[in-house]
Amino acid sequence: MTIVAGCDVGSLTSKAVILQNNRIIGNSIIKSKPRPGDSAEAAFSEALAVAGIASEQVEYCIGTGYGREKIAFVNEVVSEITCHGKGARWMLPTAETVIDIGGQDCKTMKIDKNGNVGKFAANDKCASGTGRFLEVMAKVLNIGIHELGELSQKAKNPVTLASTCTVWAQADIIKFINSGVPLEDIGAGINAAMAGRVAILVNAVKPEGDIFMTGGVAKNIGVVATLEKLIGKRIKRARKADPQIAGALGAALLATEKVNR
Amino acid sequence: MRPEIREYPYDWLMGSTLKVAAAVPSGSKKETEQTYRYIPNYQKVAETFYSAGEPGVLAFKLLAAYFENILTAHDKGKPIAATTFCNSPVLLYAMDVVPATFEILTALGGVLWKRGMFDYMDFCCEVGMTETSCSSQRGAMGAVLAGLFESIDFIVCDTPGVCDTNANAFAFVSEYLNKPFFQLNYPSSIGDVRSQAYHIDDYKAMIRFIENQTGKKLDYDRLAEALQEVDKQDALIADIEDMLLLKPMPLPPLFSLALYAGRFCFSGHPEYTRLLASMVRSARQRMADGIPGLTSGKENLRVFMCYIDHYTVNMNFYNYLEERGIALTGSILTRNFRDNNQYTEILSGSSYGIDLSSKDAMLNSVAQMNARLPMVRSIRGPYDRPGMWLEESLALAKITQSDCVIYNGTPGCRNTWGMVKPFARDMERYGFPTHIMYDDAFDDRVESWGNTRERLDEFFHIRGLL
Repeated sequence: MTIVAGCDVGSLTSKAVILQNNRIIGNSIIKSKPRPGDSAEAAFSEALAVAGIASEQVEYCIGTGYGREKIAFVNEVVSEITCHGKGARWMLPTAETVIDIGGQDCKTMKIDKNGNVGKFAANDKCASGTGRFLEVMAKVLNIGIHELGELSQKAKNPVTLASTCTVWAQADIIKFINSGVPLEDIGAGINAAMAGRVAILVNAVKPEGDIFMTGGVAKNIGVVATLEKLIGKRIKRARKADPQIAGALGAALLATEKVNR
Repeated sequence: MRPEIREYPYDWLMGSTLKVAAAVPSGSKKETEQTYRYIPNYQKVAETFYSAGEPGVLAFKLLAAYFENILTAHDKGKPIAATTFCNSPVLLYAMDVVPATFEILTALGGVLWKRGMFDYMDFCCEVGMTETSCSSQRGAMGAVLAGLFESIDFIVCDTPGVCDTNANAFAFVSEYLNKPFFQLNYPSSIGDVRSQAYHIDDYKAMIRFIENQTGKKLDYDRLAEALQEVDKQDALIADIEDMLLLKPMPLPPLFSLALYAGRFCFSGHPEYTRLLASMVRSARQRMADGIPGLTSGKENLRVFMCYIDHYTVNMNFYNYLEERGIALTGSILTRNFRDNNQYTEILSGSSYGIDLSSKDAMLNSVAQMNARLPMVRSIRGPYDRPGMWLEESLALAKITQSDCVIYNGTPGCRNTWGMVKPFARDMERYGFPTHIMYDDAFDDRVESWGNTRERLDEFFHIRGLL
């Protein structure tokens, strides 16, 4: 009975997954705290509580995410790209191309049948095309980030937004709101701007086989639908687990491999 | 790139659209209305051109002919050369080569389509170009790289050192498509004997390159004919430049675009001469009637664009100027620095002439003409004239009695971004309110037109100009 864990400390949310014999027995998603170490502790504790086990029972734990170097309780740390590849392949065993949109970055990767990353592309410094972009825009619209997807589905005439700069896009939205543009059209413009940026990265790795999306943005049906239109391919949905925990899950899967080696 | 975009070649789409557009004004009212039903997003652009009268229709015909030339080039046994707007096409035409000028091809798509050239621009990034590379090339270039454009045969570029962003884009195409590539060098100064000799040698090397690609020798008699046509065109442009000084100015803002788009597409071609002659006739008539070129009939303000105009959907910028009663006194794209232009009198040593007395004299005329095309001259400037952009902008703003100066470019315009703030500061010191537009002239996604418009309004309001 091998119990392992993975902990992914992201810039917006922190996630933890507890695996027992490759089966998820506990997981958590919390809003990241100012200190990455505190975020990791909180996410890990919550996942342990869900699994109903004590931290001593966890044989091996791997940390990932931007705050991975600050997690005190992990045995080792691994890059997010590697973890997301692993996690995605577990969630969708046929996945060959993975899109991960995190809080402050966006990555696309090609993976082999073991979930190992062969080729990847990542965004550059701007927050546009990342979860932070959606968060900022949702805040300006005074709606929850989770509402953006459904809102945009009702759009009739999506607006064109400044999509290369988050700050200017924000200014655009304020102007649209003041001009009385329907919220759904603005929401659709936000998702289209986001999808447009991500599509460049997806096409840069020349997607093949089943495409799978991880990260919190995978739950935004507006972005996913627009992205599908832009790249002309279906993006498979996660059925086995929340796509937002893919990084932590991948870390836990790598921990399992480590223990079983 | 969206799959549906891949269904039709870009040049065919644009060529067909412009062909219809050029034919619409000769149809009946019913036919026109019927056509508009099929082009809802494009009606506004068509109306903007038609409202300019005969010159507007001729401009459409010219642009339609440009695409027609590209689409039929290979059937006629002519090669297509990708080139830049800083390289006059006169030499290419004299050598039976069809030019495909990326910047013009991008601007047209941006003006005519609701989603602009976004898909093509993004395609360039997908295959490896940076997002901060120049959008004016990335538009049409994306179509070329994606195979949605007539296959280009070779590339001729004259921007190394002038605009490296531009030159790098052409180098990328050459590498990506494995096409022969010639880059012309510019000496550090353009007036002295040694530089001129160097320049002529480089032009001869370019001609040898084109001859190797086409298998045909340059016919200097043909070049002379083309240059004679350029001479006529320059005389007409000088007339137009003269009328830019009048208050009220009898030229609508659209004329500025037509003037330089025509020059970049068809320098040395009789079609362009016809367009210019029509523009001169129409402006002279207005001048005689004492009415401004603005359709509102009232000139509230005169704006000098110290760099380039704005080319996004529905001719937004030009229509904005019309709505606000703002006369456009041109941009660096408008000017050619021919010796018959009034402003060259106050900018000593800035002009060039056309000399057909010998082969070298003709080549020198082309070289001198190119050395005064937009970025080559004002923005780069010879190294011994570092303040050229500022000096020339000041002189032009003064002579055209402009009320203010506006900078507009793209994030790829490194040469100007490196100096635009001190430039604006100095323009202000000399009494010209100066506004820097932080947008992209070809891509609304950098700053939406709505915001750009608001910032322009704010500038005009706060500075008490409107």
